[in-house]
Amino acid sequence: TGGHTTEILRLLSCLSESYSPRHYIFADSDKMSEAKIRSFEQKRSETFSNSQFTLDRIPRSREVSQSWTSSVVTTLYSLLYSLPLTYKLKPDLILCNGPGTCVPVCASALLLGLLGIKRTIIVYVESICRVETLSLSGKILYYFSDYFIVQWPDLKAKYPRSVYLGRIV
Amino acid sequence: FSFKDSLAEDLRRADLVISHAGAGSCLETLEAGKPLIVVINEKLMNNHQLELAKQLHRDGHVYYCNCSTLLETLQSMDLSTLKPFPPGKPEKFALFLDEVVGLQ
Repeated sequence: TGGHTTEILRLLSCLSESYSPRHYIFADSDKMSEAKIRSFEQKRSETFSNSQFTLDRIPRSREVSQSWTSSVVTTLYSLLYSLPLTYKLKPDLILCNGPGTCVPVCASALLLGLLGIKRTIIVYVESICRVETLSLSGKILYYFSDYFIVQWPDLKAKYPRSVYLGRIV
Repeated sequence: FSFKDSLAEDLRRADLVISHAGAGSCLETLEAGKPLIVVINEKLMNNHQLELAKQLHRDGHVYYCNCSTLLETLQSMDLSTLKPFPPGKPEKFALFLDEVVGLQ
C-alpha cells in the first residue's frame, strides 16, 4: 500500500541488474501501487536493457486496526493465495517492508523451505515511520526473517538481532 | 485539494508548509527543502504515527505543535533554526544486500 510501496521502490533504486526478474506482490484492494511500480520499472528500463518484472495481487491480509481474531482468519485466507503463488515463483530472495501482505508471503516461503522445496532468503526492512516501536508485521517477522533492518537507533537498541544502516529510503 | 495526484508542484512554490503528522507529507516536504510545522491532533492519530514527527522535531528538522498552539508557534518560530534534512541512502542498502546474496 501507498507509503510502503514508495519506500520499497526507493530501496530498489540502487540495486544492480542481478536482482532480476522482480515479482511484485501487493494487496488486491491497493489501487495506487500498480501505477507507481510501472512508473519505476519504466524508468529503470531506460538504464537497464533487460528489465523483467511481474505483478501479482493477493487478498489483503488485514485492515488497519482490524481485530486480532478476524486478522488471523483473513491472513489465513491470504495464505491460500500466497502459497501457490510463492510455490510458482520460488524466489531466491524476498524483500518486504511491513504491509500485512508480506506476512502470508513470507509464511509461504518459510513453509516451502521447511518442506525442502525452496530455500528463500527473507529480508525485512521496517518502515522509516517506525522510530520507537515495530509494526505488527515487524514484530512477527523479527523472528522469522533472515535479515531484519531498522532505520532508527532506538529500534536497534530494542531489537538487537536487527541490522541498522541508518536511513535508507 | 482533495486527493490531487501529486502535491509536488504546490510544494515547489511554497515558502512554509503546515501539515498533519503523516509520514509521507513530512518526508516529501523535508526532501523538497521546505520549512515544516507539524500539527498533531492527538484524538485522531494512531500513536505510532507520532513517532516520526517527534523524532524529526528532536533532530531539529521540524516545528511541532497542536491545533491550539499553532498560532503561538507561527508567531514565535524562527525558521532559520531548522536543520536541513539529508536524504536517505538506498545505496547502503544495495551494498548490504549484495553481501547477503553473495554478489560481493
